[in-house]
This record gives sequence, C-alpha cells and structure tokens, in this order.
Amino acid sequence: MDYYLQQLAIGLSLGMVYALMAIGFTLIFGVLNVVNFAHGEVYTIGAFAGLVVITAFAPPLFVVLLIVVAVGALAGVGLERIAFKPFRRFSDEASLKSRAMREATLMSSLAVSIIVREAIEIGFGSQFQTVPLDRLLNKPISLGPVTIVSGDVIIFVVAALMLGGLQYVLKRTNVGLSIRAVSSNPLGAKYVGINTDRTIIWTFAVGSMMGAAAGILVGLYYGAIFPSMGFIPGIKAFVAMVMGGLSSIPGAVICALILGFSESIATIFVPSVWADMVAYGFLIVTLIFFPRGIFGGARDRV
Amino acid sequence: MSDRLRPLLVVAAALVLVLGVVPAVLGALDRSYLYQVANLALIFVLLAASMHLVTGVAGLLQLGHAAFYGIGAYTAALLATEAGLTFGWTLPLSGLSAAFVAVLVALPTMRLVSIYFAVATLGIGQMIYLVMLNWVPVTKGPNGILVTSGLELFGYDLSASAPAYFVVAIITLVSLWVIHRLSHSYYGNALRALREDDQCADAMGLDTVRLKIESFAVSGFFAGIAGALWAHTAGYISPADFAFPQSILILAMVVVGGLGSLPGAVIGALILILLPEVLRPVGDFRNIIVGGVLFFSILLMPKGIIGEVSALDLVRRQLGGAWRGEGTKAGPEVGWR
Repeated sequence: MDYYLQQLAIGLSLGMVYALMAIGFTLIFGVLNVVNFAHGEVYTIGAFAGLVVITAFAPPLFVVLLIVVAVGALAGVGLERIAFKPFRRFSDEASLKSRAMREATLMSSLAVSIIVREAIEIGFGSQFQTVPLDRLLNKPISLGPVTIVSGDVIIFVVAALMLGGLQYVLKRTNVGLSIRAVSSNPLGAKYVGINTDRTIIWTFAVGSMMGAAAGILVGLYYGAIFPSMGFIPGIKAFVAMVMGGLSSIPGAVICALILGFSESIATIFVPSVWADMVAYGFLIVTLIFFPRGIFGGARDRV
Repeated sequence: MSDRLRPLLVVAAALVLVLGVVPAVLGALDRSYLYQVANLALIFVLLAASMHLVTGVAGLLQLGHAAFYGIGAYTAALLATEAGLTFGWTLPLSGLSAAFVAVLVALPTMRLVSIYFAVATLGIGQMIYLVMLNWVPVTKGPNGILVTSGLELFGYDLSASAPAYFVVAIITLVSLWVIHRLSHSYYGNALRALREDDQCADAMGLDTVRLKIESFAVSGFFAGIAGALWAHTAGYISPADFAFPQSILILAMVVVGGLGSLPGAVIGALILILLPEVLRPVGDFRNIIVGGVLFFSILLMPKGIIGEVSALDLVRRQLGGAWRGEGTKAGPEVGWR
C-alpha cells in the first residue's frame, strides 16, 4: 500500500512537470494555431541554464529559478523571431487558416529544435552532466507512512504557484486579456486594435518560462541533464494537450496529471523502460476515439 | 520531339552514371568505405522516394518513416539469422512485413488530417522504436543484431563490394521506376487531389481513405525494402539507426528536394547524405547542417529545389484571383509527362 502511495506522489510531481510543459504548448497553439516542436528544447535550455548558474555562482534555488525563467522567456522570444515570425508574412484570414503555413512552421520549429539540440551537444557533450550532489532535490521527507523526497514537494509548490500566476496573468492583466482575445479570434483581435505581434511574443515568453522552469526542476530532481532530455517530455506534454482538447488550459493540466499518474502506476506492473508506451498509447487512443480531446469544445476537423 | 527526348536523355544519363561512372570510379579507388557511402546514399534515395509518395504526392506529413525502415531491417536480419533465409527471401518478406504494419498503422490514423496525422505517426514511430529497443529476447535490444549472411541471390554470393553495389543500385532503380510510374499516372493525380484538398477530392468521388491507406502501404513496402538492403549491406543493425532523427533526416531530404517531385527527393537524399561526407572535417556539425539545410530551405525555397507545391503557393491559391496577376502561375501542372 505504502509503495502505491509513494508511486502516486511521484506521479503527481511527474504530472505537474508535464502540466507546466503542456501549458506552453496550449498557449502557443491557442494563439497561433500551430504546434511548437521546439518546446522541448526550451525545457533543455532551462535545465542547462540552471546548471550553468549553479556551477558558476551557487545561488539559492529560488534565485536559480528566477534566472532560469528569465532565460526561458528570452529563448521563447528568440524562437518565435527565428522559427515563426518569418512565416507570418501574410496576416490575412486565408493564410492564418492555411494548412500549408501550419506545416511550414511545424517543420521550421523542428529544424530549429535540431539545431539547438546539436549546438548544446557540441557545447556540453552528449553525456549526462554532473549536477552538484548537494543541489539534488532528493532529501527524504517522511509523511506518515509514505516517504517522499523534497523534490516532489518543491515541484508541486513551484508548479502550483506558476499555474496560479498564469491564471492571474490571463484573467487580470492586459497582456492576458490580449492573449485570450488573439486565441479566440486573431483577426477580430487585430481589428479592435490589439497588437497581435506583441501578443504572440508575450505568449511565447510566458509559455517558455513554464517550460524552462520544468526543465531545471526535473534536472535537479533526477540529476539527469543532457542535450536530448527535452524530446520525451515534449511529446508527453503534447499528448496532454491533445487529450485536453488543444486550447483548454484546465483540460491540459488535468490530462497531464492523469498521464503522470498512469505512468508512475504503470511502472509498478511493467519495467520502467516500457512506461513511455503509456503516453503514446494515450495519444493514439485519444486521436482515434476522442479527436476533440476529452475536455475540448468544438474544433475544426482533425 | 524534344519534349519526348529530354526525359529519355535524363534517364539514360542517370543509368550511365549509377551503373557505369560511379562503379568505375569506386572500382578505381577501391576502398570499401566508399562503397559503404555509395550504398548508404542509394538506400536513402529509396527511403526519400518512398516518403515522397506519402508526404510529397499524397500530402500526408509523416514523422515516423524510419520505423518502417526499421521493421524491414529487423525482419530481414531476424529471418537471415534465426531462420537462415537468404537475401532472395528476406528482401520481399521484409518489404511485405513493413507494408503490413503500415496498413495496420494507417487504418486508424487515416481519418486524421495535417498535424494530427503527423503527431500520430510520430507516436507510432516512437512505439515501434521502443519495441525494437526494449524487446530484448527478440531484437537483442540496444546491442543490435549482427547479420552474417551477406547478399546471396539465386545461389550466387554477391557480398563483395562491387556486386553488392550493383544489387543495391538495381533494386533502387527498379523501385524508383515503380514509384515514378505510380506518381505520374491517374493514380498519382488522385493522390495529388488528396494533397490539394481532400474534402474536395472526396466530393469528386475519390475514395480518400482507401487511397491514403494504399499509398501508405506502398511507401511502407519500399521503406522495408530499403531496410533489408541496409541490414544485408551494413551487416549490423541497432535501434539507433531507426530512431526519430532518421525520420527527420528523411523528411528533410524530401522537403529540401521539393515536395511532390521524385527527382527532388533523389537530389535531396544525395545532398544530405553526401554533404556531411564531403564536410568530414566538421564531423560534429553534421546534424546541425541537416537542421540548417531544412530550416533555410523552408524559409528561402518553400518549393525546394525542384518541387511542385509550395507553402506560399497553396496560400495564394486560397486567396483567389487577387494574387493571380503577379506573373507566377497559380497552379502546378501535373499529369502525363
């Protein structure tokens, strides 16, 4: 029983990490209607930025997180300028809805993600980076019958704070208002005088902040920071987004938690190398049986 | 006259190059490494051509093509090592098994469009990769499989460098011819109709789902053939040869060469395989070059080198007449050529 509870705790922190990643996907998909394939690289950049900061200055975790979030925002903005902006030469309705434009940005973000990953690999080497042992988030904490590690608590608290902050930004600020306006109707938002270009930059900044924070938290939790670390969580977060119905943030968060729980429960029954199958299975099942997502509203054909 | 003559000349030149000049040069230099590179280039030409049928002609963005390549290679390797079959049997069987898996994959996913299809194929490609990596009792896991039986065809041993090159070259050329005939026929035009607007094609009476499944199966078949060629010529396969980066490499070949153009896919494959070999001094940057070539070709040449469909053209066509008068022709010309 205790073992199951422990797996649930691990599943919760895993799910929170996927939720942070999935929000970035969801925000960007909502605003631009495209999938950002380089989101996993933002996660990697966050982890490596945190590692560099830790080895250079050894500041407290809170400062590391702040720096990582700032770096993530910068990476998101740069990504948008390089991989997405050049393909928004036409801002009329036809090209906003064009499938070809979507696929062009899909491939350009894929290309940028390859370049970023390989550049990190050349800079740092492809093997696991050594994280200073005292910075690992693995101090055991006894909680009744269950023993969890400090990382579980920290990930949960940071993720919950960021989700709350996101809700505040989206519902109470002008930036959030414009993000919601653009994602509900880009052309209409433009007609009422919203600067869509700036809104898109903000969206990338906010989404990438969350992705980068997830990267450093996971890096310190498992002590595994390596150039291709962002690929698998990126796919999982994408699965969560598709399951949640593409543009629904609560849906994405709930599905990310479901994904995290089911993966940690699956490791009880099968070797952990097969746990990734759970996410891919969820993806295929969702696409076939719930193409609108479990929490999704109306949508174009899928 | 010249319209009829030119394709013949191009084909004749390609045949002379592949079956005459390249083997002559390779024979003169006589280094087994160069034969390996030539075989690899031909295998990727075949892979790019098979992806061209699905992604270029039928317009289905495929992100898991390497999985079918892997299924072909593993089928060939397992049949050769466990069942002791020769190349004459493993080649068609690996093609058929890859085609079979492609049909299984296609049946549920074919009703999805654009990125949903792309991501579904990505997910399935990853699943197949995980099976190759973790089903250790059968696939030997990360250690890979050593294929000891070489190319033996009709009782002749063709494993030496030069005969092996000819086997790979002839199989690739025949496959290219089949894919060319498929994509330049009424059948190919039906696939192009899917690419341009599948709802419209459906309304015109084309059985879109069936066409997609068929093109997917044919593409999987040729990817499987390529896998068998790789297993038998390289002599060693491991899951890393069939992972996601390989799918992207094949996609990059098709995109760089130009979506919808078979010569484009061939040229794209040659560029992306031979460029890193030429740039050997900067070996580490190999994958960066792949990414950079992919990015800049989408940015600067949305049509690829000799493509027939571009992202921007599709947009312009949707905008209707306003863009027509600008000198560029609105639509690509396809048909019997």
